[in-house]
Amino acid sequence: MKILIKKATIVNPDSIWEADILIQNSKIIRIDKDIKDKVELVIEAKEKFALPGLIDMHTHLRTPGREDEEDLLSGSLAAAKGGFTTILCMPNTNPCIDNEGIAKWIREEAQRIDIVDIWPVGAITKGREGEGLTEFGALKKVGCFAISDDGSTVENSSLFKRALQYAKMFDLLTISHCEDKSLSLDGLMRESLISSKYGFNPIPDISETIRVFRDIELAKYLNARLHLAHISSAKSIEIIKKEKEKFSLLTCETAPHYFILTVDDIEKSKFDSNFKVNPPLGEKKDIEAIKKGLKEGVIDCIATDHAPHSVAEKELPFENAPFGFIGLELAFSLAYTYLVRAKILDLKELVQKLSTNPAKILGLYDRGKIQEGLTADLIIVDLEKTWQVKEDTIVSKSKNTPFLGSNLAGSVEYTIHRGKIVHGKL
Amino acid sequence: MEIWAKKHILAIKELSRQEIEIIFNLAKSFKEIAQREVKKTPALRGKTVINLFFESSTRTRTSFELAAKRLSADVLNFSTSSSSLTKGESIIDTIKNLESYYPDILIIRIGYSASLEVLSRYTQASIINAGDGKNEHPTQALLDIFTVREFKDDLKNLNVLIVGDILHSRVARSNIFGFQKFSSKIRVCAPPTLIPYEFEKMGVEVFYNLDKAIEDVDVIIMLRIQQERQKLSFFPTLREYVDNFSLTQQRLKKANKECLVMHPGPINWDIEISSSLKDKLHPLILKQVENGLAIRMAVLYLIGTKKKDL
Repeated sequence: MKILIKKATIVNPDSIWEADILIQNSKIIRIDKDIKDKVELVIEAKEKFALPGLIDMHTHLRTPGREDEEDLLSGSLAAAKGGFTTILCMPNTNPCIDNEGIAKWIREEAQRIDIVDIWPVGAITKGREGEGLTEFGALKKVGCFAISDDGSTVENSSLFKRALQYAKMFDLLTISHCEDKSLSLDGLMRESLISSKYGFNPIPDISETIRVFRDIELAKYLNARLHLAHISSAKSIEIIKKEKEKFSLLTCETAPHYFILTVDDIEKSKFDSNFKVNPPLGEKKDIEAIKKGLKEGVIDCIATDHAPHSVAEKELPFENAPFGFIGLELAFSLAYTYLVRAKILDLKELVQKLSTNPAKILGLYDRGKIQEGLTADLIIVDLEKTWQVKEDTIVSKSKNTPFLGSNLAGSVEYTIHRGKIVHGKL
Repeated sequence: MEIWAKKHILAIKELSRQEIEIIFNLAKSFKEIAQREVKKTPALRGKTVINLFFESSTRTRTSFELAAKRLSADVLNFSTSSSSLTKGESIIDTIKNLESYYPDILIIRIGYSASLEVLSRYTQASIINAGDGKNEHPTQALLDIFTVREFKDDLKNLNVLIVGDILHSRVARSNIFGFQKFSSKIRVCAPPTLIPYEFEKMGVEVFYNLDKAIEDVDVIIMLRIQQERQKLSFFPTLREYVDNFSLTQQRLKKANKECLVMHPGPINWDIEISSSLKDKLHPLILKQVENGLAIRMAVLYLIGTKKKDL
């Protein structure tokens, strides 16, 4: 099948220009002004923007175990709607993705569904229990190129050191969830005047920072690749910035809520459980530091930390509701609205954070750019269009997000994955 | 009488000084009624009040129960030990089920901070907070302040000292917000491990030394210390806690002459307060219990007779 995209403003990490894009089968075969060819489908994209397909390094698809909250099909549809063509799903499932059987099943099931690319992240330790290492080699063979105990830190420093060492043998990327559990304990929100005023068990920002520091020191010591997940605090950014100057194997991500919401928004929501997330929402100074970190390149990418939860779980009081919210369908518009419209990043930088950099970190050299010869993963967005986040238009099985009712700019009109339209009106 | 606008009473934070005055004025009248031979008034006749206690309580629950009965309401007591919660029914399901009785007022005690706003979405009834986690215990603070007002003409610039486990105390939080509405000056005194983060920003003065904190105070509120805090090393031993934070005759001498000493109870004698102060404290404790009933009648009356929003 041949698709021709006419007069799109093509945004790459280093350029923006208007041209036509010709796609054949799963590849981009030509980019030029005014292409004339016999094609099956023409998409008129005048005044619209073409971006490389977005890549999310951090989603939770709840499969296997909680398919009532999300499954591979609903997760794929949500990803496609939000402009993501490649997503990595975290292993905190039940059973956990800690062996090649489950990893292989997810890979094959995702290929059968064939809407977006889904790659499982393997667990570092068996059952994510922080005791014995999983078989990294076996996981790698069936499609894991990253490992993480996401949801928990590997508390035992010696074991985490071995994991980083052993991962080198298979060139696996170690993704760390930075949280010193002995400090965060049964905390519910960032330690702040708000937590003090309302008597909520607090999570101090240093619970993240202390782990960031440990993990970087271990990775440096071993010269091992390390990626830090969902960085949320100014203090962590300060350390990462300093270390990145000398240590090139270090990368990190943040999520949209960490540059938009603060603990004050939790109070304003009257403690709506949709605002409960881990790491917890910080303060104004953290938002500022994260924006600066994105601008300066200290933070490499924006991931969603898409965390679906059932209505029954999220209607509970703040204190006993689970952490996390959905993000796949919102991340692009949130980032566009709060970073590009707010003049923190330009469009090229946004593409770097949401596509080019994650592709590089994951070693996916066939994507992350709109370029002749690469995989035809791209999206067409209307940046003039604004839309309101409403429960009934969310395609994810779960509707838990603090952004319900928000008006956002930038809408994903088409998502094309491997030359196939997986989202958009024909 | 002044118009009462609030549907719920969830927190002292959300009450205005004027609203507190309305409650106090009404409580004064109810206190008189309590001394009459016929103690009952028909104000809430036909109304249903449910005491919904997800945490155990005797004093607060019985005080609310009697208050509602004195106002002629039908009272249902629902507490976790006798409920289906042990069978795993959720809090929200419980509230939805009770909704079938068309209750007018739910008096709720629950272990989760600031959770009543969320729960109010699932019921038509008004909610009165009888203690929510570590957040607030508004009627306790109201009765404390009401009691102090019977002794002190003006609460402005009164030095109020709260001693003990501030971190885990809803009584402390409600009293701080309450006394601040009357422009009293609040001091808190505890080991640093039991003082919440950035607590000075609440406009209170923080002390770690009771001998210094107590100088020139007019009111002391002693908080109950939970034995399990010791296990989590908020302080190393009860012995050391008592040594530093127990209220003794000698320490009390440094306070102002007419200083009032209060405790939300139950007291661990010789831990929070030296038993040699028993005689001094007892009359005030009894007054607090009496005033507690009047305050709760006032609150129930205001909420229960409020015209439904049209």
